[in-house]
Amino acid sequence: MSEIPMHSPIDVGPLSAPDGNVILADAYDSTKIQIRAGQTTAAAAVLAVPYGSSTRTSEGDLVCGTRPDEWTIYADSGRTDAITDLVPTEGFVTVIDITHGRAMLRISGSNAVPALSKICNLDLCDELTPDGAVFSGSLGGVSCDWVRNDQNGEPSYLISCERSFGKFLFTAIADACVEFGLLIPGGWELHRH
Amino acid sequence: MTNRLAVQPGEVINRSVSLAFTWNGKAMTGFEGDTIASAIAANGIDVFSRSMKYHRRRGIMTADHWDPNLFLQVGDEPNVRAGSRKLLDGMEISSQNVWPSLKFDLAASNQLVGRFLSPGFYYKTFMRPQFMWPLYQKVLQKFAPGGEIHWRSSTHGAYDKRYAHPDVLVAGGGPAGMAAALASAAAGASVLLVEHYTELGGHLRWGDGFQRARAAELAAACDENANIEVLVDSTVTGRYDHNWIAVNQRSHTIAPERLVKARAGVLVVAPGLIERPYVFAGNDIPGVLLAGGVRRLINLFGVKPGTKAVVMTANEEGDDAVVDLERAGVEIVAVLDVRKGQSIVAVQGKSRVTKVETSDGRTLSADTVVTATGWTAPTSLLNMGGDRPVYDATAARYFSNSLPSNILATGGIAGDGSTSELEAHGWATGELAANRALRRRHDRITQTARAAAPTWDKPVETGDTRTPLAREPHPECYRSSTHGMVDFSEDVSSKDLIQASKEGFDSIELMKRYTTVTMGPAQGKLETVNAASVLAEANGVEMADIGTTVWRPPYSPISLGALAGRILEPVRRSAIQDWHEAHGSTPLLAGQWVRPDQYGDAMAEAANVRNNVGLIDVTPLGKLDLRGTDVPKLLELVYVNKWQKLDIGRVRYGAMVAEDGVVSDDGVTGRLGENHWLMTTTSSGAGAIWEMLEDWLQTAHPEWDVHVTAVTGGLTSINVAGPNSRVLLDRLIEGVDLGPDAFPYFSVRQGTVAGVDGCIIWRIGFTGELSYEIHVPSGYALHVWEALLETGADLGCAPFGVEAQRILRLEKGHYIVGQDTDGLSKAPTAGLGGLVKLDKSDTLGLPELKHAYSREDLPILVGIQTVDGSIVPEEAAQIVDGDSNTILGRITSSRMSPTLGRSICLGQVDPSLSMAGSVITVLLADGRRIKAVVQEHHAHVDHEGARQRV
Repeated sequence: MSEIPMHSPIDVGPLSAPDGNVILADAYDSTKIQIRAGQTTAAAAVLAVPYGSSTRTSEGDLVCGTRPDEWTIYADSGRTDAITDLVPTEGFVTVIDITHGRAMLRISGSNAVPALSKICNLDLCDELTPDGAVFSGSLGGVSCDWVRNDQNGEPSYLISCERSFGKFLFTAIADACVEFGLLIPGGWELHRH
Repeated sequence: MTNRLAVQPGEVINRSVSLAFTWNGKAMTGFEGDTIASAIAANGIDVFSRSMKYHRRRGIMTADHWDPNLFLQVGDEPNVRAGSRKLLDGMEISSQNVWPSLKFDLAASNQLVGRFLSPGFYYKTFMRPQFMWPLYQKVLQKFAPGGEIHWRSSTHGAYDKRYAHPDVLVAGGGPAGMAAALASAAAGASVLLVEHYTELGGHLRWGDGFQRARAAELAAACDENANIEVLVDSTVTGRYDHNWIAVNQRSHTIAPERLVKARAGVLVVAPGLIERPYVFAGNDIPGVLLAGGVRRLINLFGVKPGTKAVVMTANEEGDDAVVDLERAGVEIVAVLDVRKGQSIVAVQGKSRVTKVETSDGRTLSADTVVTATGWTAPTSLLNMGGDRPVYDATAARYFSNSLPSNILATGGIAGDGSTSELEAHGWATGELAANRALRRRHDRITQTARAAAPTWDKPVETGDTRTPLAREPHPECYRSSTHGMVDFSEDVSSKDLIQASKEGFDSIELMKRYTTVTMGPAQGKLETVNAASVLAEANGVEMADIGTTVWRPPYSPISLGALAGRILEPVRRSAIQDWHEAHGSTPLLAGQWVRPDQYGDAMAEAANVRNNVGLIDVTPLGKLDLRGTDVPKLLELVYVNKWQKLDIGRVRYGAMVAEDGVVSDDGVTGRLGENHWLMTTTSSGAGAIWEMLEDWLQTAHPEWDVHVTAVTGGLTSINVAGPNSRVLLDRLIEGVDLGPDAFPYFSVRQGTVAGVDGCIIWRIGFTGELSYEIHVPSGYALHVWEALLETGADLGCAPFGVEAQRILRLEKGHYIVGQDTDGLSKAPTAGLGGLVKLDKSDTLGLPELKHAYSREDLPILVGIQTVDGSIVPEEAAQIVDGDSNTILGRITSSRMSPTLGRSICLGQVDPSLSMAGSVITVLLADGRRIKAVVQEHHAHVDHEGARQRV
């Protein structure tokens, strides 16, 4: 199946402002595994990341405490089996590959927060959402899961939503970023009316 | 520019940049930094507008945002506030609501019948006769004030929105507001400083050299402070519960207006004071200005407001205006000092003041009258926080009464003082605000799971130890012995208010609504205090006993565009929607989903399914992955039928009812493994059913081991329907025997489709044909879709859209929840008789179900065919009793059937008509009544199911 191309709902190359202060990129092909398990299960002990925070494993996987009794692991493409093998399934534990079901994007740069604040009412200040913070909230009217995952000392957010909203969400964020210089491909219809 | 003065020391115009504009078609020039009004005034114009009701000539009065006489049309934008909007090169500016011209306005004849246009004129006149209302409406629309909108041709760009979360939001950038912002910032708080005008400084901007210098210092400090975000040309338009604060930001580069929605820890209200007019006969004649207006024209814009002036002053602002006028070369005819008992009685003139009558009996020749008779404290934002300000007769204005802890007031609204005293109070207020806001912020950080532990200690709570500002005595100076305008926006005079009181509208709130005083664009900023004073006089009581109207949002009118912002209506797309659009589908918006309605010919698409094989994208079907040992218990609870014995690999149809017994949703659920199930719901019900399941699991049965995961978008659903569907899938599916015995109707299998692992295939049939529904991991859905089409080309495989699907399901007689049922349709109506198991120990709505099945009066869903098969009754057409209008049911679905070549319907009918063969009357939308016959089955085609059970 590896030769079959995985089709992203966003399907656009990275967009950037000329000054690099805001960069928007599709991250759909990341592996996304959702684990639901009670706190007393072996899975919870292995995952060991509190709700609201995240940690990067030695393999480079990002383990997020998404909700109480729920974790999401984001990893490079093709790591589904490797990750699911790591999670003990004793007790009432559900491990689901949500790679296909979640659109995902990354927005980075010093203007990421001002841009996101145009369509999001979450307080994204450093104290409330420090690097590593995991949270949920509406962005452009779409329910999203967020991870603050800074890169190169710049604020960076991994944002995922139900796949079918992906194209809308990416466009809405791109529209918000126009104020900060994001260059939009020709022919794009933005939410400007 | 005939009225332009030599360079003034504090002017904000840039004389090196000249701007061209037109005023009512006449070419003029102004300077960069001019407001629209100052530029027009500099060109010698006295009359800017006509009043709303009487169309009286009006000129500059306050020369600021609140000037009721300066609402102008600029290009395609109406109601522009020319007193504060900056002039831009090329502006086409005109007066509005005049005909044929500003100079000769026919509607000014209203003045001749003014005695008949008394308060409540509209209510009294247009009540009866009722049949005349359409005519009245047209006439009133002709007289509606305001400019013209050009929404079809407007070049106005999109409006914008953003959110903010400052610790402290300061409303007002005068000396107190700026000091408060700096103090809060110094204490470590994040501050949003909002200033109504285009520059910080407040009243210091048109003050003396020291004041201007101090304003500049404070403004620079604010601009340079990293903890302060300054928004100029922006207005705090509303304060809502929990300090949810709306800020209207104008003239931003990204949009003409932007609505900033801020959640502030503490709101500091520092709007300063707004000078109020004096009420006397002729107080709206062009040439009558307020002292602040005169000072702004001279000092900020270098505009000479007149040549010969009479000044009536009750305070320092008036005294300073005299100094400014003299410096500008205006002859001071007289200074009438209210503190010495002098005042104006009346003014005469038409297009400009000519005569002034004084209280000592003199009649003076002058073209300009300047009044300085006190201020309105704009307590709007305090009102919105629950405060009811109280009148102080000594200071002749209102002051705050009690405020919640997250609102503080400073500056002129809190009292009087020198610049340094106002700054000191502002600074103390800012420190107090920061203390409260930072304590709140500390709590938020420590209580938020995702936040890091704070690196700073929670500040110790400090009390309000501010030294109050003084309340300087000021004469109560509201109305002369003559009557004049109180509300310049609404053309309401003091005489009107007294008349209203006599008619019984003697409370301030009633009077406001009856006369519309304070309800115009100035929103009471100029007229509230004068209105209260006139009412007190009419009622013979003290001002303090009158009370106030309640100021509600917005503080200043806000455009609908700003309120709307950008339209963010999320749209959902399946993984193959791009393909549909690229292949000529007509988009159909179904809830949030965009779907292919048809690809050009829905009838042909339906026929192809009957004859060959078709594909339809049914991704919007709600899909819930259920895991756990207690899933059957959950299914037993929410479905009307039984689920404990469904074998692995089998699929079952289920229907849900709400607790009132009304059909709420339906779908099929398949058992994929011992403890693994996949439930489908209707497209529109997906979200609600998911929430309902979680609600029951979390609140009623937390002991059940069930995990529900929404997988609607993760699995793209493709229905392969038609007699050739099995042949087609045989070519692409690996690991699944599709034979009728190995894979019978209502079964589910998992396998590989077109090389894609992890697909779920179930054999069901909504179209009435042999069909399979394939659920594919969405990232590979396009590949599978295209493979199906390519592989099935020789089998006649083609896509079909939602419209064809609706035709096919109606031929088969499948009902749709919400289409063929409604908010009253219970299980018997939908024909769920055989499905519902009333012997279950528990299920949602069971008592109501039992009751429903004991009734014989519920409508019944039946198949219907019109006698004349060429007529397709409209959906929702009424079924009536013969020639009467007694309703006996309605058509719920109708289409022309390509298979039968005639129209087919489903409909709900009275039980007396539900027997097969009953002849019913259908009332069409055009009034015709046609006959139709109730069918034996819901299905019009293949009711035995022979086509799908092969």
